[in-house]
Amino acid sequence: MSDDYLTDALRNPRGRDGRAPDVFRRGGWVPMREYPDDELVDFVIVGTGAGGGPLACRLAEAGFSVVAFDAGAWWRPLEEFASDEAHQEKLFWTGERLCDGDNPLKLGTNNSGRAVGGSTVHFAMVSLRFRPEWFKSRTLLGYGLDWPLDWQDMWRYYTEVEQALKISGPVRYPWGPKRPRYPYRQHEVNAPGLALARACEAMGIAWAPTPLATVSAPREHSPPCVYRGFCVTGCATNAKQSGLITWIPWAVKAGAEIRDLAMVGRIETGEDGLASGVHYHREGEWRFQRARNVVVAGYAIETPRLLLNSANSRYPDGLANSSGLVGKNLMVHTNQAVWGTLEEEVRWYKGPPSLSLSEHWNYEDSGKDFFGGYAFMSQGPLPAAWAGAQTGNHGLWGQALVDEMQKYNHQVGLKIVGETLPQERNCVTLADERDEFGLPVARVTWSECDNDRRLVNHAVDFMRRGLEGIDARDIWAEADGTAHLMGTARMGSDPATSVVNADCRSWDIPNLWICDGSVFPTSGGVNPSETIQAIALRTANRIRELARRGEL
Amino acid sequence: MVSKTRLDWLALAVTGTLTAVSLVWQHREANRSSGSRPANTTLIHSARRLNRGAGILAGAVLLDSAMEHYRGQFENRAMYTPLITATLSLLASSKGFADLTPHSGKLRNGIYIGTVLTGVAGSGFHLWNVTKRPGGFGWTNLFYSAPLGAPAALILSGVLGHYAERLRSETRNIVPRVLGLPAGQSMALMSAAGLIGTSAEAGLFHFRGSFQNPAMYLPVTAPPLSAVLLTASALAGANRPHLRWASRLCLRFTLLLGVAGACFHALGAARNHGGWRNWRQNLQAGPPLPAPPSFTGLALAGLAAQRLLDEEQSVKAHYLGWHP
Amino acid sequence: MKLIYPGYDVLSKRHSQSWDEPTRQVIDARLAIGGAPRFLNEAQWQTLDAVCQRILPQPIDRPPVPLAALVDNKLLNDRGDGYRDARLPPLRQAWQLGLTALDAEAQALDGRGFTGLTAAQQDALLSAMQRNELKHSVWKSMPCVVFFSHRLIHDITSAYYAHPTAWSEIGFGGPANPRGYVRMGPDSRDPWEPMAAKPGAQRKAEKRNRHVG
Repeated sequence: MSDDYLTDALRNPRGRDGRAPDVFRRGGWVPMREYPDDELVDFVIVGTGAGGGPLACRLAEAGFSVVAFDAGAWWRPLEEFASDEAHQEKLFWTGERLCDGDNPLKLGTNNSGRAVGGSTVHFAMVSLRFRPEWFKSRTLLGYGLDWPLDWQDMWRYYTEVEQALKISGPVRYPWGPKRPRYPYRQHEVNAPGLALARACEAMGIAWAPTPLATVSAPREHSPPCVYRGFCVTGCATNAKQSGLITWIPWAVKAGAEIRDLAMVGRIETGEDGLASGVHYHREGEWRFQRARNVVVAGYAIETPRLLLNSANSRYPDGLANSSGLVGKNLMVHTNQAVWGTLEEEVRWYKGPPSLSLSEHWNYEDSGKDFFGGYAFMSQGPLPAAWAGAQTGNHGLWGQALVDEMQKYNHQVGLKIVGETLPQERNCVTLADERDEFGLPVARVTWSECDNDRRLVNHAVDFMRRGLEGIDARDIWAEADGTAHLMGTARMGSDPATSVVNADCRSWDIPNLWICDGSVFPTSGGVNPSETIQAIALRTANRIRELARRGEL
Repeated sequence: MVSKTRLDWLALAVTGTLTAVSLVWQHREANRSSGSRPANTTLIHSARRLNRGAGILAGAVLLDSAMEHYRGQFENRAMYTPLITATLSLLASSKGFADLTPHSGKLRNGIYIGTVLTGVAGSGFHLWNVTKRPGGFGWTNLFYSAPLGAPAALILSGVLGHYAERLRSETRNIVPRVLGLPAGQSMALMSAAGLIGTSAEAGLFHFRGSFQNPAMYLPVTAPPLSAVLLTASALAGANRPHLRWASRLCLRFTLLLGVAGACFHALGAARNHGGWRNWRQNLQAGPPLPAPPSFTGLALAGLAAQRLLDEEQSVKAHYLGWHP
Repeated sequence: MKLIYPGYDVLSKRHSQSWDEPTRQVIDARLAIGGAPRFLNEAQWQTLDAVCQRILPQPIDRPPVPLAALVDNKLLNDRGDGYRDARLPPLRQAWQLGLTALDAEAQALDGRGFTGLTAAQQDALLSAMQRNELKHSVWKSMPCVVFFSHRLIHDITSAYYAHPTAWSEIGFGGPANPRGYVRMGPDSRDPWEPMAAKPGAQRKAEKRNRHVG
C-alpha cells in the first residue's frame, strides 16, 4: 500500500457535493450546506483558523449565510496524521515567503498553518489570557498603544473560549484578576515541567501547570490526552481541541459552508466602493464568490498580502489601507530559550511540550530595564526540532553534534514567549516573485529593537539562573528564535492610525472586516490563540448586534 | 465516542436500576427476617459480614496498589508492603468469613492489626511523597502524586477485620460493647467514617475528571448520604423505623454502586484512546478498576452494623418493657 | 562508539500499539529511499556525500543513514520550508550553487575537488563556511554562512534525525499512537521505552530494549 492516501487531502478538495469529512469517524461524512458562486452570501470568510473558525461558527449559528475559504486541506486526524515530524510538515504553510530585515524570521513550523482549522491544528495548545493592563499598555504601562477593547469585556469572551474548548487548566491560577475555574482540570506535569517548577521555586517565583486546549478527561468526541508528545505535528487522537474538531464541525452543523483547497487571491470591490466578493482558486480554476461582507482572517502575513494584492484603481494602495498601515507593525514573540542537562532522565518527548509555565515577568513590573513582559514555559522538542536548535543556534555539527544529541533524554529547557514592540519598519509587503497561483509572494521584514533585545537579555539571564538553581549542567542560551505573528492590520479608535475599529471592521470599507492576529496593536507576552478566538467571538456578537440595529 | 446526552441517560438509567434493585432486595430481606433470631447468631453473622467487607477492601487495595506501584516502578522496596499485607488481610478475611464459631481468631486479629499499621505507615509515605514534590500540598500533587486516600483503605480493611474478631468474642454479653460503645453503634460510626473518607477520595479524583460523566456524582452523594443516615439511626432511638429503613436502602444502593462503579471505570478505560486494545496504557491511565468496590466493602460493614443496631435496640426495648 | 541504549531499535515497535498505519506507511517510504541520486548531478552528489559524512559522522558497525540520498530526495520533491532568507535563491538553486561553490573552494585550495581533501581539510573548509569566510566568485550573491546554516546543516541534520536509526541512537521513544505514555515524571520509563545502560548493567538494558514492543 502506498502512502499517497495520506496526502490525498492536499490534492482533492473534500468540502463539496453537499458533504464534509467527519473528523471523528474514519471515512465518515456529514452533510454540509452549499452555496452557488453567484449567490450573494452574507459573509465570506477567508481563513478558518483561530480567527475565521469561531467567527464562521457563531455567524452561522446566528442565521447568516456563511462561506469560509481555506487554502489548505481538510484533514482527517484519526486516519491521516502520522507520528512523524517530517511527514506532518504537510500542516504548515510551506509556500514560499521571503524573509529579510536584520533578523530574518523563520516561518513555516511554529507560526503558520495551512489547513482547515489553521495553525490550531498544530499549535502547542497553550491557552492564556492577556494581562488586563495590556489592553491599555500606553496609558497604564507607558509603551506601545492602547487597544480599543475593554479588558473586562474581553474577560467574558475568554471565558467563553475556555468553556467552548474545555481548556484543562489549574484550579487556581496564580497571576492576574480572579478568573472562572477552567472547565477541565490541569494535566499531570511531566519531568521537564517539574524541572521548571523546581527552577521557579529556587528563584522564589510562582509557577503553574499550563492551561492547555487538550482534554484531561473524556469529552464527547475526544478521549483524554495520551501524552504521545506529537502535539505540534498534529494530534492524531482528537484530544487536542483544535479548530478542526471544534469550531469547524460546529460551523458546518450550523449551516456554514467550508471550502478547502480554495486560495483566495483577490477581493473585488464594486462601484460603490464596497467589497463585492472574492476571487478564489479551486480545482484548477479561478472563480468568484459574491458576498455582502468579506472577512479576512488569514493571519498576519496572508491577510495583508491579500489586502495589498487586491489593490485596484479606486484603492491603489490596497484595500482598507488609507492609513498606510496595512502590512505595517508586524510583531512576533521572541522565543529564546536556555537549555541544560540534568543528571536525572527527563525524556521530554512525553506529553504536551509545555506542561508548566511562569507568567511572573508578565505581571511584575519592577526590576525590568525594558517595556513589556514575557512568560516562560517548559519544553519538549522532538528530535528533528531539537537538532534544529543545536545546528541553528548552537552551531554544532560533526561529532560535537552527535555527542550533544546523545544527551537528548537528559535535556531540559525554559523558553520564553516575549513581547516585542510594534515598529513600522517591520512589515509584510509584496515581492516580485510569484507563487503557483501567480500571486506575488509575501516579503516579511523583521528587525528587533533595543527594547526587544533588553527583554531577551533579561529573560535569558533569569532563566539561566533558574537552571543553575536546579543543578543543570552545560547550560547554553539560544540566541534567536521567534514565534507567532501579530500586527499588520491593527485595530484602534482612530482611522488615521489603525486599519480596523474595535469590531474588526475596516475604517475604509464598511463591509470589509479583518479578524485574526493581525488586528493586535501590541503583542503581549503570551501565546495569541486564545485572544484571537476571544476577539472572533466578540466580533461575531457585535455583528449580530449591528445587524439587529440595521447597521451592517 | 459517547455523546453528552447518552451519558446523561446512562447515569439516569443506572441510578434508577440501582434504586430498583435495592428496593427489591430490601423488600425481600425484610420478609425473610420477619421472624426473630437469637442474638448470638446475629453477632457471628455480623462478624462474618465484616470479614467479608474487610476482604473486599483488602482485595481492592491489593489490585489498586499492585497497579499503581507498578506504575511507580516499585522504586522503593516499601512499595511491596501493601501487596503483602493486603494479601494477608484478604486471606484472613476469607478464613474469617468461613468461620461460624463465636471465637476470635488470634492470628487473624494479628494480621488485621498489622494491616492497620501498614496503612498508617503508607499514609505517612504518601504524605511525604506529596510534600517533597514541587508545588507541595497543592492540587497538582493531590491529583497526580501518591494518593493520600489509598492507604486509608488498608486501614479500613484492618479496622473492619479487627472489629469482626472483637465482635466474635463479645457474644456472651447482653448488649455487646466494642471500644466502649455498644457494638452496633460503634460499628455504624466507623463504617460511616469510612464511607465519608472513601467518598472524599472519589470526589477528589472525579473532580480531577471534571465530573465529565454525570454518573461520577453518584459516589460523592450516595455514600455520604448513607453515612449520615447510618449515623443518625445509630444515635436515634429504636422508634425510628423509617430512618433505619432509609439507611438500609441507601447502604444497599451504595453496595451495588461499588459494582456498577467498576463497570463504569471499565467503560472509562474503553473511552480512552485506543480503548482496551491499548490496555497496557489505559489500565494504568484510565479510571482505576479496583477503586469503586471499596464502597461495596464499606456498605457491607454498614449493613452489618445496621443489623446489630436493630437487635441492640430491640434488646433495649425489651429491657424497657420489663422494667417500666 | 559506545551505545547508550544497547539493543534498542525503534523499528521493533513497528507492530506494537505505539505505531499506527499512517506512521508505518510514512516510515516505510522513508526507509525505501537510497541508492543513486535522482536530482543532483554526479559531481554535486559526490560532494554532498562527502559533506554529509563530515556533518554527521556515522559509526561503521551499522548500516549508515543514506543522508545524501535523503537530501537529494528533498530536492527532487522541491518542498520548501515556508520561508526563505531573502539572500538565498530557492531550494534547488541554493543547493546546486552551494555544492558547486564548495567544490570550487576546494579546487582553489589544492587543485582537487572537495572529495579529494582529507577529513581535516574538509572540516576546515566547512568551518570557514560557517564563519562566512568563503568568498569565491561562484557563490555569487549568496553568503556562504546563510547557505551553511539554512540549507547545509539544516537539511542534512533534519534528514538524519527524521530517521529511525537516529531515534534509536538517542533513545527517543519514537512514534506513539494510539499508545502514548503513562509515566511522566523524572527517571521514569514505560516498558515500551528504551532503557539506558547504567554502568555494569549493560545486559539488563539490552534485555529490556529487546522487549520494548
